[in-house]
This record gives sequence, structure tokens and C-alpha cells, in this order.
Amino acid sequence: MSFWLNSLSVGIVLGTPLAYAALGELIAERAGVMNLGVEGMMLMGAVVGFIVTLGTHNAVAGFAAAIAAGAALASVHAVMTVGLRVNQIVMGLTLTILGAGLSAYIGTGYAGRRPGAGVSAIAIPVLSQIPLLGSVLFNHDVFVYAVPFVALGIWLLLYRSRFGLWLRAAGEQPGAADASGVPVFLIRYLAVIAGGGFAGLAGAYFSVVYTQTWAEGMTSGRGWIAIALVIFGTWDPIVVLLGALLFGFVDGLNFQLQSVGVPVSTHLLAMMPYVFTLIVLVFAWTRLRHRRVGMPEALGVPYEREAR
Amino acid sequence: MAFSIRLERRLNAPMAMRIAVPVAAVAGGLLAGGVVMALGGHDPIDAYGSIWEGSLGSSDGFQSTLIKACPLVLTGLAVATALRVGLWNIGGEGQLIVGATAATGVGLYAASLPGPLLLPAMILSGCAAGAVWAAIAAVPRALIGLNEIIVTLFMNYIAILLMDHLIFGPWGDPKAFGFAYSRPLPDAAVLPLLPGTYVHVGIVIALLVAVTAWWLMERTPWGFSVRVSGGNPRTAEYLGLRISRRMIIVLALSGAIAGLAGAIELTGVTNRLQDGISVNYGYSGVLIAFLARGRLLGVVLAAFLFATLVVGSYALQTTGVAQPIATIIQALIIVFLLAGDAALAFRLRITRTRPLLEPAQAGAG
Repeated sequence: MSFWLNSLSVGIVLGTPLAYAALGELIAERAGVMNLGVEGMMLMGAVVGFIVTLGTHNAVAGFAAAIAAGAALASVHAVMTVGLRVNQIVMGLTLTILGAGLSAYIGTGYAGRRPGAGVSAIAIPVLSQIPLLGSVLFNHDVFVYAVPFVALGIWLLLYRSRFGLWLRAAGEQPGAADASGVPVFLIRYLAVIAGGGFAGLAGAYFSVVYTQTWAEGMTSGRGWIAIALVIFGTWDPIVVLLGALLFGFVDGLNFQLQSVGVPVSTHLLAMMPYVFTLIVLVFAWTRLRHRRVGMPEALGVPYEREAR
Repeated sequence: MAFSIRLERRLNAPMAMRIAVPVAAVAGGLLAGGVVMALGGHDPIDAYGSIWEGSLGSSDGFQSTLIKACPLVLTGLAVATALRVGLWNIGGEGQLIVGATAATGVGLYAASLPGPLLLPAMILSGCAAGAVWAAIAAVPRALIGLNEIIVTLFMNYIAILLMDHLIFGPWGDPKAFGFAYSRPLPDAAVLPLLPGTYVHVGIVIALLVAVTAWWLMERTPWGFSVRVSGGNPRTAEYLGLRISRRMIIVLALSGAIAGLAGAIELTGVTNRLQDGISVNYGYSGVLIAFLARGRLLGVVLAAFLFATLVVGSYALQTTGVAQPIATIIQALIIVFLLAGDAALAFRLRITRTRPLLEPAQAGAG
């Protein structure tokens, strides 16, 4: 019983950064811009968040810097793809490699050190005393508690605000949106940069909160899992959040199985999240592809006012 | 008086600009890389001096560059080949690693094969493993249209874990004291060297593969049908070409080329399976294919340039500049290339715009 409860608790913690990264990508994609640079932005967030936390002994400063780093890298993507209308796939892949290289360069000499400050878990009074589930759900850090509200906030923004309507219009019918006065370019810039901030935060969560170390390439593909999550989350923030928690659980299961000494190589167990993602992706895509559920119509297409 | 600034699509860019853009992009990437080093407190001019000295500027450096160019030519070719059918193979890293892994398996378990048979068997099994690894992404892409970028990418992580499982477990060297090495391979499993050098023959193989791939794709009817399938799927459908079959075959070929790179690195350089047998060669291959604009023979040039940067950056490490600078410069070159291409595709037009109503007229109304 405690095995499953532990797995659930670790899963929530591991699902949290996935959710932030995926929600950020969702915002950008809903505005019509695919950013395959999530992995690179997460790595930059991880290294910058780690170094600033170490230097200032203040995790808040670390996270702020990580968000800024992710947003800075994303703004390169925005300028190139929205401004210069460069192919989004090529630019995103380049961004991932650039982020991996830059983070490794900046982080040289920091491997193996501890951040010196962190974000402590806050047990919510009364609720955390609930037998069994109390400690699983209500003894976490502030980022975990915030994530459902962030997902809900994005949902409200997208579907219940004028700005959200504009943002979705920019991703579905940029020509029509532009004609009716929606600032398509501005919205796409903002969406991509905000998405980068989320990815930076997710990266810092890995380095400052979860592992509390920096290692080259430490996000090991979590950025790509986030991109996959947006697809089978059908571009819906609530479904994406649930998907992220499910993936966090599978990821956490791997560590739990290792710790109880299952006689399977740790390396084979570590394949689980990737294999699981692939299988879910194949099934989800088989079901969704004809209906294109939720997929923004102009996703990946640079908007050219002159070509309207 | 108001001005409006707008981007206008050029109908055709002058030839001179088309050539100038990649050259300027390389210069821009080197310059921006220099800025990164300067920000880190290093003298960029000294640094580029070390890179030159460590790569093309000395005989040893030049030979190292040739050795390093071999996997980069092949991974670049793998990406460029897949692009012919319109697919993105981002899985070169994993295909290289399973190629090296399969070759190691043959080397360890069929070590009793006579020498002249062992090496070809290892290399072919490397190609086959790379092809299978890529086909895992190709089949769902061809049948249900599942994005191949994500699948090839996940297969990279699975390949690394598979290799780690083997070298830390059943294939591990008991004498490696917990380091991530497989047992060493038999002497018959070592690629011969080019006479008078310490460069293994892999670079010759890589160049032959480049020419063969170019011939196959650009000079045969089948290659043409592949390019039609990739460039204009609708036309291909009207012509009755089976696009999905071509996707699977070409992506498998692409994986085989990356797998070959792994088998060559194993037999030519490391002589045992080890962590870090690929130094991001698969990812560099993506950038190389971009810089070559997907042209198969251009890949060779771009790969040599990137090999120079990588080998030079090893020399740079002794001066305190971290090795990932090579990756940063490579990526920056592509950023500049993309920006330059945008400059080619569009021109900035600044026009004076007249208000709809001239003030005088408005007043007269």
C-alpha cells in the first residue's frame, strides 16, 4: 500500500514540471506557433535557476531568473518564426540544440554541487492529516499546489476572456483575425515568450527542487514528453494537466520500483516513460487523427499579412 | 507624413546572394560564438587561434578532423536522405548508438568468425540495427501519419538506456571498475588505417556513401519518385506512387546510414562499446543537413566544417573554454543561416503612406 502511495506522491511531484512545460507549449501552439525548443528552454531554465539559487541563496530569485532565461530563448524563436517567418520545425530543433549547448557551457563546474536553498514542502493543516491520501496530496511545495490553478487559469483565459478569443483566433484563422483588428503578430510574440517562461520554470523545478543538482542534459527528453502531452491532451489545458500527472506517475513508478529492489535493470526501468509515451501517442493518434480534435488550424504556418 | 514598413516576398533571389548567405551565416556564427566566449571572460581571438591550431593548422589536428568528420558526414547524410521523402529523422543519435551496440554484440558473440568476415558482419549488423530503429518511427508515420520527429527522438533515449543496460550489465568489463565500458573487442574487429596516417578508413566509406546516396536520389528514377513523394505528395498520389512504402524504405535507409556511423566509430575509434560513443553526432547531423540545405554533397562540406569546430574545441578546453562551445557555435550558425534565408525570401520595403484624407481636403469637406 505504501508503495502505491509513495509512487503517487512522487508522480505528482514529477508531473508538475511536465505540466508547466506542456501548458507553456499549449499557449504557444494555441496561438499558432509550434516551438520544438522546449527541451532547450527547460535546460536553460534548469542551469540558470540552479546557478542563481546557489549565488543568492534564494530560490525565488532562482526561479525568476529561470523564467527569464526560458523567455529569452523563446523570444529568439518568436523573432525568427513570427517576425522573419522562418520554418518553425527547423528553428525549434536548432533552439533545442542551442539550449543544450549553452546550458552545458554555462553549467560547466557546477555539476555535483547543491543549490544551497530550495522550496520546502508545506503541509496543509487538517487536509494533510487525512489518512492515506492526506500526505500524498497535501504535503507538497507551492508549485505543486499552484499547478491546477494555473491550468484552470489558462482554460479561463482561453475560453472566457477576449484575449483568449484573440489568441485562439490567431492560431485558427490568423487572416480573418487580422482583418477584424486582432493584433496577430503581437499575440503570437506574447504567447511564444510566455511559453518559454513556463519551460524555464519547469527546468528550474528539476534542478532546484527535485534533484537539487545540475547535470548536463538533465531533463533527458522531458521537454519532448511535454510536446507529446499537448498532442494527446488535445490542446486542452485541463486534459494536458491530467496527462502530465499520469506521466509523472509512470516516471515515478520507475524510481519506486528501483527502490524496492525489483530484479530488473535500472536502465530498462528508466525506459518506461519513453515507451509509455510512444504507446499512448500511437493509440491517441489513431483515434484523434481524423477528427484533428483541438489542433489549431494554422499551427506551424507562419502568418504573412501580404499573402492573405 | 507616415511611413509603413513591410516585408515583401521576393520572387527570385540573385544567385550571388544564395551563395553569400551560408558563408555569411558561418561568419556570423563564429562572431556570435566569440561574443559568448568573451562574455565568459575568454579572449575570442586567442580561442579561435587554438581552434585553428588544434584542427586544420597542424598535421595531427587535420588527421583528428578527418576522423571526427566521418560520423558527422554520415549522420548529416542520414538527415538529408530522410528529407528527400519529406521526413525529419531526429533519431540519428539513437540509430548510431544501436548500430554500435549491434556491432558490439556481433563482435563479442561471433568473435570466432575469421577476421575478414568479422568486420563486415559487424558493420552490416550495425546498419541493420539502425534501419530497424528508424523503421519503428517510419511505420506509424507511414500508416497513421504520426509525427516522426517525436518518435525518432524518443527512440534516442531508449537506445542510450539499452546501451547502458548492456555495458553496465551483461557486456560490462569486469576490469573497468564500474566505468561504463563493454569488454574490449577482438583485434580482428579493428578498422584498418589509411597508409601513413592514424586515420581509419571510415572517412573513405563515408564519402562513398555520400556519392552513392546522391546518385541514388538524384540520378535514378526511384530517387526521383522519392523526391516527388516528399516534395509534392498530391502529385505522387495522382501518379499512383505508394508514398507510405517509400517513406518506410527511405527512413530505414537513413537509419542504416546512421547505424553505419555507429559501427565505424566502434571499430575505428573506441574498440569497445562505451558511454559517450556518440558526442551528439546525431544532433549535429541535423544542423549539418540544415547548413547543407539538404543537399547530399553539401553535407560533406558542412560536416568537415563542424568537425573542425569540434576537434578545435577539444584543443580549446586546455585554455579553459568549455567544450560545448562547439555546439553553441554550430547552432548559432544555423540561426544566422535561417535569418539570412529570410532576408533572401523577403525584402524590407519602406513606403511613405498618404493619409486617406489630406488635411486640406478634410477641412474643405
